[in-house]
Amino acid sequence: MNLLRLGQLSYLWLFASMNEPPIVSTVDQPGDIGLVEWKDYTSQEVFTFECGSTLPGFTLRYETYGRLNADRSNAILICHALSGDHHCAGIHSMKDRKTGWWDNMIGPGKPIDTNRFFVICSNVLGGCQGSTGPSSINPETGDAYHLDFPVVSVRDMVRAQYRLLTDGLGLDTVFAVVGGSMGGMQVLQWGIDYPHVVQRLLPLATTARQGAQAIAFNEVGRLAIMQDPDWQNGAYPVGEGPRVGLAVARMMAHITYLSDEGLEEKFGRSRVPAAARDLFAAEFQVESYLRYQGQSFINRFDANTYLYLSKALDRFDLYGPDGRLEDEMQKVEARTLVVGFTSDWLFPPSQNRAITHALLRCGKDASYAEIDMSLGHDSFLVHAPELYELVRSFLS
Amino acid sequence: MPPRRQQIKRETDLQIISDWIEPEARILDLGCGRGVLLEYLKKTRNTYGVGVDVSPPKIASCVRRGINVYHGDASEFLDEMPDHYFDWVILSRMVQELSDPGEIIDKALRVGRHLAVGFVNYGFWLNRWSLLKTGENIRNEVYPEPWERSHRGNPVSIHGFESFCQRNNIRIRQHAYLKGDWRTPISVLPNLLAGYAVYHLVRE
Repeated sequence: MNLLRLGQLSYLWLFASMNEPPIVSTVDQPGDIGLVEWKDYTSQEVFTFECGSTLPGFTLRYETYGRLNADRSNAILICHALSGDHHCAGIHSMKDRKTGWWDNMIGPGKPIDTNRFFVICSNVLGGCQGSTGPSSINPETGDAYHLDFPVVSVRDMVRAQYRLLTDGLGLDTVFAVVGGSMGGMQVLQWGIDYPHVVQRLLPLATTARQGAQAIAFNEVGRLAIMQDPDWQNGAYPVGEGPRVGLAVARMMAHITYLSDEGLEEKFGRSRVPAAARDLFAAEFQVESYLRYQGQSFINRFDANTYLYLSKALDRFDLYGPDGRLEDEMQKVEARTLVVGFTSDWLFPPSQNRAITHALLRCGKDASYAEIDMSLGHDSFLVHAPELYELVRSFLS
Repeated sequence: MPPRRQQIKRETDLQIISDWIEPEARILDLGCGRGVLLEYLKKTRNTYGVGVDVSPPKIASCVRRGINVYHGDASEFLDEMPDHYFDWVILSRMVQELSDPGEIIDKALRVGRHLAVGFVNYGFWLNRWSLLKTGENIRNEVYPEPWERSHRGNPVSIHGFESFCQRNNIRIRQHAYLKGDWRTPISVLPNLLAGYAVYHLVRE
């Protein structure tokens, strides 16, 4: 594990500022949401997965911000990406160093304005931040599900969210569903499966199906985890597991979320201070940064969830058996704004455009906007006034 | 004070093209700008419209208006659309911005059943006079910028455009020639006396 241990803690500032939303709000962010609490929704009804397996019920951990209006028409659902969770805005305690993952976007007066909207975000089914997933206890065995957990799909995630919103929160209409990356896939699935519930769709940096390159990266990540002896065929004790493998998977995946230009701007060839160090210790700051990313990830993420969710990403395919995206897009009734980012090479602009083409070929109300940013796939998470303006306009 | 040129331009296209377009039509506006024409057609004709533009502030403006807009290249967008998918394709003051405009017009006539093209007539007498007098790039209200601040353009005259249509079997079903004020109709010597021209084109 020494390999992955962060050498120079003094460089923490670097990590905090690179990829995560800024801790301190900037000038055009009128207000912060402050302290928030998560809640658990438990469905006691049987849930049948797309694969055919069932669970007697499930729990989704979620947060809400803002207030539901009198006619229950102002709900916005946020869908998180592979490594995200339900905590997308605010802080849980005054000691928190970091806010929720989309705090720059969500809050009073922010583009997704909690003065206007009732915002909901849940940890996906199959997740590991409080929702039912491979690390949850199987009531039949008293042990974690591990690999007995049913194969989970993006559609299963959406169907579980639907239960939370309708059964749990009593909603029968959702003003908008918003999300990037894997969250964007859920947004599209929402529009397809619940066309009469959701009014607007805002998928960002996403795809209707991954290309070979994205599947290839996921496979390397999965193998890093599965080749780690601590993985134990997925049956590792809760709290332990393939820490090296998961960290390596995260480090590699993290590179795909950034870009050549973004990394160059942030790190270049700058080095960590030259104390006495081994040849293969973290020498360049980018190495140190990635090690930190890997290290912090294993403290909050479950390796089996990573395997399940990355597989769900790979299998997600709206083109269907005939290879026609229109067959699924035809079902969408919501007004849609697709947003792509020029430097995103994981889910590149062409894949975001393809979604829009298909919607327009079906005569749907759809728009495509492309934002010129250098930070790669993760551009949708960072401070971006142009994106804020689009989101604000689209939701107005 | 006469209305600003930009305002006149909008009204010109709005009125002439709108009169041609039937209610409920499906429309593609290439170079849609801020979506003013599409918004007007949606309100007055209940049309289904899509705009295409490359400028981020214009895209944002369309999103704000609730107009479908596609941020990207017009030619590539046309390639993605089926034959005769749109009732109308509109190229309002767009052709002079394009490299290889003939190709876009060709694609537009594949994707649309009707094509509306509006442009500033480069053969207008004031332009000729300006060129003759100074021997330099034209400078006037329509071409306000000096050479060093101008963007790349591909200006076209009425005569040049109509002979292009003839050579390529494109039928001019309707047209409107307007004087230098871009408002008053004119019919004599259009290539010399018209400041603006709008065409309704179909494939022969």
